[in-house]
Amino acid sequence: MRRDEDKKPAGRRDFLRLASLGAVSGTVAAIAGGAPSESQAAEADQRAKGYRETLHVKKFYELARF
Amino acid sequence: MLAEGVRPRFDSDEEILRAAQYRLLSRFLAAPPDQALLSVVAGFEGDETPLGRTLGTLGRLARRMTPAEAADEYFNLFIGVGRGELLPYASYYLTGFLHEKPLARLRRDMARLGIVRADHVKEPEDHMAAICEMLAGLIEGAFGEAADLATQQRFFDDHLAPWAERFFADLEAARSAVLYAPVGTAGRLFFEIERTAFGMAE
Repeated sequence: MRRDEDKKPAGRRDFLRLASLGAVSGTVAAIAGGAPSESQAAEADQRAKGYRETLHVKKFYELARF
Repeated sequence: MLAEGVRPRFDSDEEILRAAQYRLLSRFLAAPPDQALLSVVAGFEGDETPLGRTLGTLGRLARRMTPAEAADEYFNLFIGVGRGELLPYASYYLTGFLHEKPLARLRRDMARLGIVRADHVKEPEDHMAAICEMLAGLIEGAFGEAADLATQQRFFDDHLAPWAERFFADLEAARSAVLYAPVGTAGRLFFEIERTAFGMAE
């Protein structure tokens, strides 16, 4: 897959910028890297039998491609 | 969270923020928010746009709420005694039943895109939290090369557009929702924005 951002109309970016996605800016690292700690996950687990961690999906293991 | 060793390849701030918004929604839906997440969200100040105002409201609520209170709310919304108020699965929203064709279609696309369910997860993959995480990963390149916009749009059209706005509107209006009311509003507004933005890319 090749990125083709260059061909993207400027309108889309301007629209996204004006739509105020910026309200989450500066928190990207915290959100992206914020998997719950083990104790927090265990705590949450007592309540929620749902997802125990944030990461529910992962990249298919390279090995499995062989 | 990014897979280990994966370096995201973003082309612009807008794409970073889209991925962050998907991750934010995913984190609130995947599990009760821990203190770390509440603290991050407590910093949201918002702005004058509808989404900005909503995130500002979420920030104010997050500052007042303890993880235990948030966990109670999460329990009532998504787990419940018997069942929660909402069932955040594509199959349920689109067919009225779990484990239906929308799940099969998602699994087929996951296989094609090199995505698998994490080992510890038992729930079906068509949970809203999981699908949001997948689209974030496609933007970031967490599953391999970053997906181009056309690939993202196909995934969005097939797996999110048919039910995302309806689900987040339900969350917004749910009886148990306090902290989750602005999460629902933010999700509804964000998916409206995404739908419009994808339309502009054509």
